[in-house]
Amino acid sequence: MDRRTFLKTAAGAAVTGSLSTPALSAGAATRALRFVPQANLANFDPIWGTQYVVRNAAALVWDTLYGVDATLNPQRQMVEAEEQSEDGLIWTFRLRPELRFHDGEPVLAKDVVASLTRWSARDPMGLMIKALQNELTTVDDRTFRWVLKKPYPKLLFALGKNNSPCTFVMPERIATTDPFKQISEYVGSGPMRFARNEWVPGAKAVFEKFADYVPRQEPASWLAGGKQMLVDRIEWIVMPDPATAAAALQNGEIDWWENPITDLVPVLRQNRNIEVDIADPLGNIGSFRMNHLFPPFNDVRARRAILMAMSQEDYMRALVGDEGALWRPLPGYFTPGTPLYNEEGGEILKGPRDLEAAKRLLGESGYSGAPVTCLVAQDQPITKAFGDVTADLLKRLGMNVDFKAIDWGTVGARRAQKSPPGQGGWQMFHTWHAGADCINPAPYTALRANGNAAWFGWPDSPQLEAEIASWFVAKSLAEEQAAMRRINKAALDFVVYAPTGFFLLYQAWRKNVSGIVKGPLPFFWGVAKSA
Amino acid sequence: MFGYVVRRIAATIPVMALVALFVFSLLYIAPGDPAAVIAGDQATPADVERIRLSLGLDRPFLIRFGEWFWHILHGDLGTSIFTNLPVTAMIAQRIEPTLSLMAITLVFAVLIAVPAGVLASWKAGSFVDRAIMGFAVVGFSMPVFVVGYLLAYCFALQLAWLPVQGYTPLSAGVRPWFENLILPAVALGCVYIALIARTTRAAMLEVLQQDYIRAARAKGMGEAAILFIHALKNASVPVATVIGIGVALLIGGAVVTESVFAIPGLGRLTVDAILRRDYPVIQGVVLLFSCIYVLLNLVIDLLYTVLDPRIRY
Repeated sequence: MDRRTFLKTAAGAAVTGSLSTPALSAGAATRALRFVPQANLANFDPIWGTQYVVRNAAALVWDTLYGVDATLNPQRQMVEAEEQSEDGLIWTFRLRPELRFHDGEPVLAKDVVASLTRWSARDPMGLMIKALQNELTTVDDRTFRWVLKKPYPKLLFALGKNNSPCTFVMPERIATTDPFKQISEYVGSGPMRFARNEWVPGAKAVFEKFADYVPRQEPASWLAGGKQMLVDRIEWIVMPDPATAAAALQNGEIDWWENPITDLVPVLRQNRNIEVDIADPLGNIGSFRMNHLFPPFNDVRARRAILMAMSQEDYMRALVGDEGALWRPLPGYFTPGTPLYNEEGGEILKGPRDLEAAKRLLGESGYSGAPVTCLVAQDQPITKAFGDVTADLLKRLGMNVDFKAIDWGTVGARRAQKSPPGQGGWQMFHTWHAGADCINPAPYTALRANGNAAWFGWPDSPQLEAEIASWFVAKSLAEEQAAMRRINKAALDFVVYAPTGFFLLYQAWRKNVSGIVKGPLPFFWGVAKSA
Repeated sequence: MFGYVVRRIAATIPVMALVALFVFSLLYIAPGDPAAVIAGDQATPADVERIRLSLGLDRPFLIRFGEWFWHILHGDLGTSIFTNLPVTAMIAQRIEPTLSLMAITLVFAVLIAVPAGVLASWKAGSFVDRAIMGFAVVGFSMPVFVVGYLLAYCFALQLAWLPVQGYTPLSAGVRPWFENLILPAVALGCVYIALIARTTRAAMLEVLQQDYIRAARAKGMGEAAILFIHALKNASVPVATVIGIGVALLIGGAVVTESVFAIPGLGRLTVDAILRRDYPVIQGVVLLFSCIYVLLNLVIDLLYTVLDPRIRY
C-alpha cells in the first residue's frame, strides 16, 4: 500500500466511522421530554435567586413540606401529619418515612429545620414567622417542632405556597449556606435529579428521574399529590428567539414551549400536531408603579389622576392584540377567579375614562410640567407595550414625559435608587406580577405600603398596613374576605400602584405529549410522551 | 522573522492590558446591577442590597480592578456571579460551537467568494459580473437574522432537510455536527461572501491590467492558469487582509446567528452575560475575543510574506 492509498483509506474509515449518527431508540425518545422554558436557568439556588425560572426548575429537584393544590389550599407533601396546640402556638410536624435525598441519604428533621431556617431569612412570610418564632427544633429524626410567640394561621399556606421562594428541603450541609450566598451542591429531595454535568447555563439543563423517589398516593394537583414522573429525562432547552422556538416546535425538535408570544400563536394553531392553551389560569397583573417619594406621585391626587385617565383596555390590547380571551379589566389588585377576589373601591377604574377630570386633579396636586422620568424596559415585550401606552397617556394628561428606553437590567438597578429623578432616580416604571403572587397579601410584596421597607416606590400607608395585618389573623374564610375587601379599597384609595389589567399567556405543546395542566408553573409530573 | 513574531506577540501584552482596563471601566460605569437580577422581581430593596454586599459589588473600583487583574495574570478569569462556575469552564463549554460555526463559515465563504470575485473580474462589465456584484450587495444589505429565518423556513420547515436549531458536538459524529451548522454558516456567511467577493474583484481588476498578465496571454497561457495562478496570487494580499478583518464581522454576526439558531456558543454567552450584568463573564469573553483578533491579525501579517515574497519584516 503506497502512502496516498493509505491516507485515503484511513481518511475514508475515519469519516465513515464518524458519520454514524447516534440514534435514540423510539422508546428512549418517548422517555425524554424537550421543554423550552420561559427564561435561562442561569443559577440553581431557589432561595438565593428567586426568579420564577429557578423556582420552576427547583420544583422538579426539591420537594416541599406542603404543596398548594389547584384550589389554592395547602396539602401535605413531605409531611405525614401535623399537630397544632390548642393555643395555636406549637406546631409539631412528622415527616413521611420513605423520604430520600438524591445522594441516597434519608431526609431527616434536621435537614428540614436547616432548610426552613434558610428559607425564612428570604421569604416575606418566612420573615414574619421568624419574627414570631420562639424556636424551631428537631424532636427526633422524623419530627420537628415550631414554637411561636403568637398564632400564625397562615403557617401551612406559607409552607406550601408556590410563590418564590418555596420551602424546598435540602440536606442540612447545603441548607446551612448563608441565604445571601449561592449553594454549590444540588442534592435534591424531589422526583427528578439535576444532571449538573450536562448543565450549560444559558443553553441547556437536564433532569433525570430519581428512581428512589416515593410519590404520595393521592392524585397530583399542582404542587400537591403524587408526583409521578412518566418520562425518564427532561431537557430544558433555552431558546432566546421566539421565532426559532416556534419553528422548532413545528418541526418536532421540541415537545413543549412554556410561553409562546401571542404574535406566533396563530401560526402554531395552524399546525395540526400542536396544541395551544392557556398556561396559567391565575394569569398576571400589569403594573404602573409610581415613586411615592417625589413629585408628582408623592401626592395621592396625582396618583388618582392616573387611575381616572388610564384605559386598561389600551394596555391590554397593546399586549395581546385582538385575543379578547387573554385579558380582562381589573378594578382592583387581586387575581380574578380566586376566593378572595373583590372589586371594592374599584369604581375609579370602571366606566368611560375622564381625561379632563384627571387633568384637573393632576393640576390640584401641584404638577406644573416638570419632567416625569419613565423607566421602560425595551427588552421585555410586556413592559415595552405598557411603556408605549403610558407615554401616550401621560402626554394626553399634559405631562412632560422623560421616556427612558433602557433594558431590564438597567431598570432593575435604577428603580432601587431613592435619589431624586433628576439625579439618577425615577418617577415610574412598568412591571407585572404573577397572579399566583396576588391571590392574597401574603406573597404580594408589591402591595405592601410599609414605607422604606416596601417594594420599589416605597408607598407608606399605615391604614393599608393595618388592613393587611387584619387578614393575617383572620380565622375564617368570611373574615378573610371581609379583610380583603378593606385592603382592596384602601390600596385603591391610596393608589399603591396603578393596575394596568389582568392578562393570560399561552403555552404550546406537541399533541403526542399528554398530561399538561394549566397552573402557575409547568408541572411535569403526570406528563407523558408517545411516539 | 522570528524576532518580528516575538516583538508582535510582546506588543499584544500592553494591548490586552488596555483592553482589560477599558472593558472593566466600561462595565463599572455602565448602568445595571446583577444583584437586582439575581434577587428577582419580587425581592425587596433590602434583599437586593444584601446580595450586592455578598457579591462585593460595593467595593471601590481600584480594589475590584486590582483583584481581577491579579487573577488574570494567574490565568484565572474569575467566577460567574450567576452560575457560580469558573468563567474559563463556561468558555470551554461554549467555545466548540462558536469555533465550529466560524470555521465552516470561513471555509464556505472563501470557497464561494474567491472564485466569484475572480469570475466577476474576468467578466468585468458583463451580466455575470453584475449578477455577482448584485448578489454581493444583497448579501451585504440583508441582516443575518433575516437570512437565517428565511433559510430555516425553506430548508427546515418546508423541505425538512435540516434541523431548525441546536448544535451537536463533533464527538457525536461529523454528519449531525455538520447538518446543524449548514444553515447558520450560510446565514452568517452571506455578508462575508459579499465582502470577500468585492475585494477579490477589485484586487483582480488591478492585477489583470498588469503587463505580465498581458505577456502571459501573449505567450498562449490558458485563462484559468492566468487567473488562478498568476493573477490571484498577486491579488491575494488585500483579500487575505479582508478575510482577517472579516473575522470581527464573524464574531459580531455569531452573536445574532447563535441566537437565531439556538447554538450554545460564545456569542449567546456574551449577550446573556451583558443582559444580566455578569461582569466576570463579560470581561472574560471580551478578553478572549480581543486575544483571538490580535493573534489572527498577526497570522495574517505573517501570511503576507508567504503570499508576496517582496514583503519582509
